[in-house]
Amino acid sequence: MTDWKTRQNGDGGWAYSRGCSWTEPTVFVLLAQAASTPDRESLLKGIRFLSSIGRRDGGCSPQPGVEESTWVTALVALLPEDAVNGQQRRRAIDWLKSRTGQESGWSYKLRQRLSGNKDEFPEGWPWFPGAAAWVIPTSLGILAFERAIRRQDPETDELQKRVQEGKRFLLGRMCADGGWNHGSSRALGRDGDSYPETTGIALLALSGGVVSARDASQMERAKAAAHRHLANCRTAEGIAWLRMGLAAHGENAAGAVEPVRRTNMDEALMTLAGAERNPLLA
Amino acid sequence: MTRREMLLGTSAAAAGAALSGCGKAARKFPVSNVSIVKASGYTMDVYDTVYRMVAGHNLNVRGKRIVLKPNLVEYDARTSINTHPTIVHAVYEAFLKLGAGDVRIAEGPGHRRGTLDLADAAGYFSTIAKFEDSFTDLNTDAVAKRRIPQPLSKLSSLYLPHTVLDCDLLVSVAKMKTHHWAGATLSMKNLFGLVPGAVYGWPKNVLHWAGIPETIVDLHHLFPKQFAIVDGIVGMEGNGPIQGTPKYAGVLVAGRDPAGVDATCCRVMGIDPKQIEYLRLARGEENLVEGAFRQVGENIRSVRTDFALVEEWKQIRAA
Repeated sequence: MTDWKTRQNGDGGWAYSRGCSWTEPTVFVLLAQAASTPDRESLLKGIRFLSSIGRRDGGCSPQPGVEESTWVTALVALLPEDAVNGQQRRRAIDWLKSRTGQESGWSYKLRQRLSGNKDEFPEGWPWFPGAAAWVIPTSLGILAFERAIRRQDPETDELQKRVQEGKRFLLGRMCADGGWNHGSSRALGRDGDSYPETTGIALLALSGGVVSARDASQMERAKAAAHRHLANCRTAEGIAWLRMGLAAHGENAAGAVEPVRRTNMDEALMTLAGAERNPLLA
Repeated sequence: MTRREMLLGTSAAAAGAALSGCGKAARKFPVSNVSIVKASGYTMDVYDTVYRMVAGHNLNVRGKRIVLKPNLVEYDARTSINTHPTIVHAVYEAFLKLGAGDVRIAEGPGHRRGTLDLADAAGYFSTIAKFEDSFTDLNTDAVAKRRIPQPLSKLSSLYLPHTVLDCDLLVSVAKMKTHHWAGATLSMKNLFGLVPGAVYGWPKNVLHWAGIPETIVDLHHLFPKQFAIVDGIVGMEGNGPIQGTPKYAGVLVAGRDPAGVDATCCRVMGIDPKQIEYLRLARGEENLVEGAFRQVGENIRSVRTDFALVEEWKQIRAA
């Protein structure tokens, strides 16, 4: 079992690998602890670190020194009840509701329409305000909203609408091979290859159900792509997300190799992948 | 209008504004040395070649903190996306031999989050002993906010990693490639990898929305102490920087002035540097003519190897 306490920084957070604390690895370590045997003292210190990244606008910053709320807000909204209080979660969800990729803003869409582009621009989430939406932050946004819906958020209909938009975004960014990369499925007319980790996380985000029969057939292709990746993937990050994504669709599979766990994120993700019940879907 | 057209449209307007300069006289730049050295492959010989090339620029690096920034993007065994690990190692050894106090290799890839896994797949672990001890993942390093002086892009500041902010010399160890958004990616575009993914994401899309050529120049201005080396032994042509095809050019290009190095690389690739917007923004057309740089070693004509260009970039081909 990983000794998270010895890897914890003095400020209560965890580094990605080594060095200063960041919000993302701290959230994933707390989730990993929740999925295994938590160390109460370590947990409390971690939660204290997270209180330093909350911002006045309701969002969360990736590190205390960064003066901007970003995609990590969705991660904080995914923490268990004992790690984040109802008010913090509510504020995080509200912040996420007000954020979309720049390409789904009215001025961009208007310019596209005027230039004859009839593409749709479903609303996903960006990594950073002012940028376009991408696969990972959109997947995390969907998971955070679905969790809020399960907790009977008073604005369920609005959240449900964004979840469906997010899923449309993901399905629209699927690569020709059935998986996902960071979110650029074609460049200059050429298909991009998918990655293991993004295929896994998108599958996880799409596990709460899709809309149409066509979507369902896309999901079958996605699962096949995930199995192909899992047979060849050598990284802990990739294997962990693929296992989580497939397990969420009722397909349990191990990776072909036991990967080298190089970072705190690798350790935390592998713990989550091995958990009986994934706290990201709780 | 595609996203690219929109981005290039805005950058063209900014470029026009920057170059017109309200009627001011064009800025003059000192003539810098740019060395071009033939190198046949990624063999043991290249260590001596790189050492001689770096030493020839008389850099005072004794006791200094040096950061080497390779171009590590994605790994695909079928093509040549990344700076070859042998070149990175040769540069690392060269700076140590020249008396540098500390040499670190540092990179923050823009698409893949597992930087160490990517470096392993790309051969860095097997080529560079104890690679992990001499490497910093710039995507997750501690950061500080820096104001951009006179920005050309829409950005006024950027969070940047301490490892590069605190070094004495930043060495861009880039790959010679065509680029579907910028025309060519060389030592200046390579600096996109300094921007921390843990803040801005994967990809660092904020830079694209702020204007690609402009942010290339803004980043360049934030790091005045630079040296540039471009791995053009096997570069990439066509739909670069990831989906192109390997192109053998058999050269290394280096110098203290990254814009000079990149303009020279363009000529080696059969590209007119005056057609590359970030070079125009950084130097102005009049400072990109062939005589603006002192070529050392091979002359450009003897090593020119035309890189294939996709249809959208045919207009940048040099005469």
